[in-house]
Amino acid sequence: MQIVVDSLLIDYSKIGSGKNTIVLLHGWGDSRQTFEFLEKELVNTYTVISLDLPGFGKSQAPDTAWDLADYASIVSKFLQKLNIREVYALVGHSNGGALAIFASGTGVINPDKLVLIAASGIRNRQKGKRLAIKLVAKTGKVATFWLPKNQKQKLRKRLHGSIGSDMFVAPHLQETYKKTVRHDVQAEASKITKPTLLIYGENDKATPPIYGEIYHNLIHDSVLEIIGGTGHFVHKDKPAQTLKLIEDFLR
Amino acid sequence: MIGGMKTIAVIFGGRSTEHDVSIVTALASIIKPLELTKQYRVEPIYISKDGDWYWDQKLKNIDLYQSGEIEEFMRKAPKVHLLFDNGLTLVKSSQFAGRKQYKKIDVVFPAMHGTHGEDGELMGVLEMANVPYVGCGLAASAVAMDKVLSKQVTESAGIASTPWTWFYSSDLPRRHSEIMKEVEKLAYPIFVKPAHLGSSIGITRVESRDMLMNALEVAAHYDDKVIVEQGVANLIEVTLPIMGNEDPLPALLEQPMLHAEDFFDFETKYMQGGKKGGKKGGAEQGAQGYSKIPADIPKDLYDKAVKLGIDSYKAVGCSGIARIDMLIDGKSQQVMFNEINPLPGSLYSHNWKQAGVSGVDLVSRLVAYAEQRWQSRQKIATNFATNYLKQF
Repeated sequence: MQIVVDSLLIDYSKIGSGKNTIVLLHGWGDSRQTFEFLEKELVNTYTVISLDLPGFGKSQAPDTAWDLADYASIVSKFLQKLNIREVYALVGHSNGGALAIFASGTGVINPDKLVLIAASGIRNRQKGKRLAIKLVAKTGKVATFWLPKNQKQKLRKRLHGSIGSDMFVAPHLQETYKKTVRHDVQAEASKITKPTLLIYGENDKATPPIYGEIYHNLIHDSVLEIIGGTGHFVHKDKPAQTLKLIEDFLR
Repeated sequence: MIGGMKTIAVIFGGRSTEHDVSIVTALASIIKPLELTKQYRVEPIYISKDGDWYWDQKLKNIDLYQSGEIEEFMRKAPKVHLLFDNGLTLVKSSQFAGRKQYKKIDVVFPAMHGTHGEDGELMGVLEMANVPYVGCGLAASAVAMDKVLSKQVTESAGIASTPWTWFYSSDLPRRHSEIMKEVEKLAYPIFVKPAHLGSSIGITRVESRDMLMNALEVAAHYDDKVIVEQGVANLIEVTLPIMGNEDPLPALLEQPMLHAEDFFDFETKYMQGGKKGGKKGGAEQGAQGYSKIPADIPKDLYDKAVKLGIDSYKAVGCSGIARIDMLIDGKSQQVMFNEINPLPGSLYSHNWKQAGVSGVDLVSRLVAYAEQRWQSRQKIATNFATNYLKQF
């Protein structure tokens, strides 16, 4: 399904007829397809809304560089347009988790419960990494300026990949990425009073379990679950286990 | 012409959401059969998604596109120039410094789907070049690709369609309550569509008022005109490929089974002997998915649909080839015009084949129709002597 919100075309699905509504937010460079399994299972009990955030999946990209506040605002307006007045649970993966924290902490969206899967948004622990990204971006530009365009892109992509930057995952959103990656949501997390389930993958390099511990300390009413043998895409690596945790928590 | 062989330029790709479909139409359904005739030399012209034109024999190879090597090709290959010399000549720089390669074109075979090609824009260029080209002309293509215009034209020729209305997208924010009121004169379910786009992009089936405004906004987002149509009860969808100029020749009336589920329902029904007498038309998997050819409907209804298809083809002024989509209310037996597709995907050669026209025969006939139309247009006087300049 499609809907126009603030002149942007948003692709979404709304399935199920449960009294309580769950909203799913995917991560950077991802799309709502990431939640296919969860969506299919949760729909037996809930109304499940899943959207491609602007610039990802089949949704239109914004014209300007966006930050988390812009994303939170569009999700809120999207829900208003669908006449969703109450969100029972906001579920976010990775950057979608940071977005869920920001939106709940600032009160833009007020869900009864939060589920954060490998949520990002802890940025100042990564000063070293950010510095490396900055350095690579600058030196990469200089070192590759003489190469043909496609070679340049290939080499710069490899350089960024080597230091774990998502910069090239969605090349059309580089400025938005820079704005989003700068945003630390620990302050917003500390304002969350609603019951929160934190799920992290034991072997996650992008958002390591330590992030879960940090959020667990910041969010008063939170539970932390670390799933063994999984990486950043916990819900895909161990779908049944993730689903069970979510279902028990939402019950 | 080289040694009696005519040179045919096949133009495909383009700035359209149907860019990839166009490649398949051109390579599989046009170039291959044209070459099998051994009467034509084919010059492929590929238009990139950015609108750059390339001409090279390599462009006939599907692997180039499937492997993604086309990107590398486009980086190196020179773009083609079009020379209008009371006809069309292709020009490109050759590998040798300063040398240019020229190729006079006898007939152009457009294989474009959707915007910037099927909609008359390309036909305008070819008219200016005064070169014969296959398929509908500029005006018919433009009318056919505008669902509002094609309904207005067919309606004025007395051809029935389901109740419908339309509005300019720019009017939606200013006159939305008026538009809603107008739209709600139609009975739900209704279909909201962008006026120009093909396939199912931006189309919503709306069951009730609470979904209506969102659907109108989505369609308006895609196009400058939006058409809203009332759904047809007891719906049987049929489509009819037609070719020819003054005396159009229909292929077989085809009944698309759009959804896999429908197809299986149909299969199950027949397998379980739900309908006595077995199937009249086999289920074919053609270019557009499964369909029944010929449509499994009573003969008088079948004939009625074929007549309405041909009437619509003539009313819009089609020539060469087109496909007419129609809607039938199975209960009232009313046949209604739905839309026209001036260049059906893969030329609907699967249907023509069943109608007894092979792929080779189909493209040869289309080239002949193109030449025939061009010749008859040459007879129309386009200038006459005046002394206007002397008096100036």
